[in-house]
Amino acid sequence: MSKKNTSAKSEKLNVGVYGITGCAGCQLSLIFNEDEILDVVNLVNLKAFPFIKEVNIDEQFDCVILEGLVADKGDLETVKKLRKNTKMLVSLGACACTGCVPAYRHFTLKENYEHLLYKKMEEIEDVDPTPIDEHVQVDYYIPGCPPDKKEIITFIKSVAKGIVPRPYQSPVCVECRRNGNTCLLDSGKPCLGPITTGGCDSVCINGGFECWGCRGPTKDMNLDLMIKMLRDRGFDDKFIQDRMRTFVGLKLPMLEKVMKPGEKPDKLQTQFYGEKIYYG
Amino acid sequence: MAKKKQKAKTENPYIPKPYKVLEYYRETDDNFTITINMKVKHDPGQFVQLSLPGFGEAPISICSDSEEYIKLNIREVGTVTKALGNLKKGDTLLVRGPYGRGYPMQYLTGNNVLIIGGGCGVAPLKGIIDYVENHRDDFKEVMLFLGYRSPNDVLFKRELEEWRNKYHLQVTVDEEAHGEMCYDAKHGFVTDVLRSTPINNENKIVFVCGPPIMMKYVIEVLKEKGFNDKQIFLSAERLMYCAMGVCCHCMIKGKFTCVDGPVFRYDEMKELSDE
Amino acid sequence: MEKKRLNEFLLQLSKSYELIAPVKTDVVRFERVKNPETIHLEKNAYFPLKEYFFKKEEVLFTFTGNKIQETTLSSPKRAFFGIRKCDLNAIHHQDIVFMKDTQDPYYIAQRKNSLLLGYHCPSAPSPYCFCGSLDLIDFFDLMFYDKEDHFLVEVGSEKGKKLAEKYGKLFSPSTRLMTQADKVIPGADRLDKKDISAFYDHKDWKKGADICLSCGACTALCPTCYCFEIHDEVKAENVNKGERKRSWSSCQLQEFTRVAGDHVFREDREERFKHRIYHQLEYFKEKYGVQMCVGCGRCIDGCPTRIDFVDIINKMEHGKEETESKN
Repeated sequence: MSKKNTSAKSEKLNVGVYGITGCAGCQLSLIFNEDEILDVVNLVNLKAFPFIKEVNIDEQFDCVILEGLVADKGDLETVKKLRKNTKMLVSLGACACTGCVPAYRHFTLKENYEHLLYKKMEEIEDVDPTPIDEHVQVDYYIPGCPPDKKEIITFIKSVAKGIVPRPYQSPVCVECRRNGNTCLLDSGKPCLGPITTGGCDSVCINGGFECWGCRGPTKDMNLDLMIKMLRDRGFDDKFIQDRMRTFVGLKLPMLEKVMKPGEKPDKLQTQFYGEKIYYG
Repeated sequence: MAKKKQKAKTENPYIPKPYKVLEYYRETDDNFTITINMKVKHDPGQFVQLSLPGFGEAPISICSDSEEYIKLNIREVGTVTKALGNLKKGDTLLVRGPYGRGYPMQYLTGNNVLIIGGGCGVAPLKGIIDYVENHRDDFKEVMLFLGYRSPNDVLFKRELEEWRNKYHLQVTVDEEAHGEMCYDAKHGFVTDVLRSTPINNENKIVFVCGPPIMMKYVIEVLKEKGFNDKQIFLSAERLMYCAMGVCCHCMIKGKFTCVDGPVFRYDEMKELSDE
Repeated sequence: MEKKRLNEFLLQLSKSYELIAPVKTDVVRFERVKNPETIHLEKNAYFPLKEYFFKKEEVLFTFTGNKIQETTLSSPKRAFFGIRKCDLNAIHHQDIVFMKDTQDPYYIAQRKNSLLLGYHCPSAPSPYCFCGSLDLIDFFDLMFYDKEDHFLVEVGSEKGKKLAEKYGKLFSPSTRLMTQADKVIPGADRLDKKDISAFYDHKDWKKGADICLSCGACTALCPTCYCFEIHDEVKAENVNKGERKRSWSSCQLQEFTRVAGDHVFREDREERFKHRIYHQLEYFKEKYGVQMCVGCGRCIDGCPTRIDFVDIINKMEHGKEETESKN
């Protein structure tokens, strides 16, 4: 024990947990690890976590875990500053990784959401809502809305040990079947599990709720077939498109397959976990 | 509820045993050789499962021929191998094995030996070189063709001089050297040198190991020179976990790389190769 | 045995064994049964029994630094009732994998204290069944044949014999000899060609792969699939402590053959699909002398798109005849 403490003191990883525009749910997911959160606080040097800490030193990080997406100039500055101050930048949650619901604005006309905007806009300098990797390089993604709390802990543990964990790349169905669920597509629900990256322990389906694809598409997805299956189950293209866009619209390539002409968003260049994908 | 506590009668095959690092030698920026005090009888071409608890396990082929120790040449590509790279002399690591079917050297005596390796594929072949050295009378002439990407990637520099003195040795590098080279290497692919060297297939056995694309072209050249399938031995690489023919990750068609391989004769390999 | 006696037998059995039998919840599943009345024998279980022996995830050992602590392996005495012929053979095939060449202590620990009580299907319980097309064997401790007002019980092992003797009061002796006719399951022989070695390059494998989502349901639901992966997990209190675990994996995923450097050996969906079928029908036989597949049809029933490989093979077989007759 004593040996561990002395050796760990100097080598502890400097970690920061930050949030930009978002609901703070992802940071909460980390805190929800009640059994392990205190161990994690000991394991690394939690230099900054403004959500729960009063004193935060915001420089020279080994790893910054960042929640939320870039939606205004302030966010942009924060992201750029953090990138400069850390060796490793981690996108936490669907907003940070894929844009999630806030980025849905790209897929609708301004008159549809205008009435929702703040009346006083002077203090907010609007930026197109975009995931973090549209602006700076991101080294690791912990997707999900909210992200799996265990996955966050596993990531921190691994990094503390000097490992970058291999991202989970299999579809939700793998864990879903292992958890003893029957297929929701069989009961006619529009489950996106087969094309969605797992790692969430199929939490939604365990509760009887279909997958909405919050963790983003798998590299190996059979999108054509997924769309066909949903059509066969009586869902129209508008529904399919809306459902698929909800969490990962900006990162889901080839959506033009279900998009009718004229509905296309402006030309947008986006990254699909490292690979450039163009659509629009 | 009747519970019965039972100790496993036979040894648990998943439990690795601790061994010490006797020597650590850095070959290149991303490659090193360690010697560990594992005293075990093995064939060249066999492999062991190295593990560092918390990091995982990695199959590594043995690159020596001794019953006193084993040498392992490791390229840092994944989590485990990178962690292994941080070992020091005197450190402990866990090992299970050896596993797999190695090169059937005892059935190949009396032949000339042709060894063609590329990159870290030279590692298992070094096991053969050591074996031949230990059984020098059993084999005739030895020819080595070793290809690397750049002068910085050349492995076993310590042994190269000795090999050059004893055997016919050709080293090639794909990229031209920028700085000084302390050994004699040709610029070009190993296949080019092989093609321009006058060799026939008489009384020869060939051992090839390297990246798949390199092996493919080497075989093409060998075919041009009249070698038949049964003279050529290859080594396969796959993802594997158990190393005992159970977990199935290393299957190539019906064959298990970990049990039926990693060494395959080309006529066996050919049947598997369209996958 | 009289039918009404069955529950009595199972109830008595459950005093010394954990009784596990098919129960209908949302689908039919094998579960711990307290009241034998709840047992469901009309349809076969949607999920196979394998998770009771070859666990979805289990700890191989724990470690502190380089020191390894073996886990204590134990399992309760369990009686499994209502296992179909296919699933019994599946257990037999997994026994071969984990108890023949390699002695797998984890599997053996789970498997050892188990009683296998079979239930012979009066007719194929699912339209996807094809056990009759394969060479299944008798593998059970006791087998219950459904004969209208009574069960004919066949003893299949020393264990089963002892059990029948112990509960002798509930059984009445029979002089009837089992015939081949007793063992047939009507409507379960839809696979027309079990030797598929000639079809390896057939273009129609693509038909299956085209409607494959690569979700891995087939392998998770398969009673024989036994692939696994091994990984380490460390503890937050001390990252030098942790456990090495193994868990199920699926050959239908790219992850299955992905090595460091991001190279995937079986990248193509069709290759992966074909690999599964060939492992089931060919490769396993090459290694162990028996086809792995037991014809339960779960991989078809549980597939979101119902990829019917039996149908694909049948069409290859008949398509061949057609082209031959045309020539």
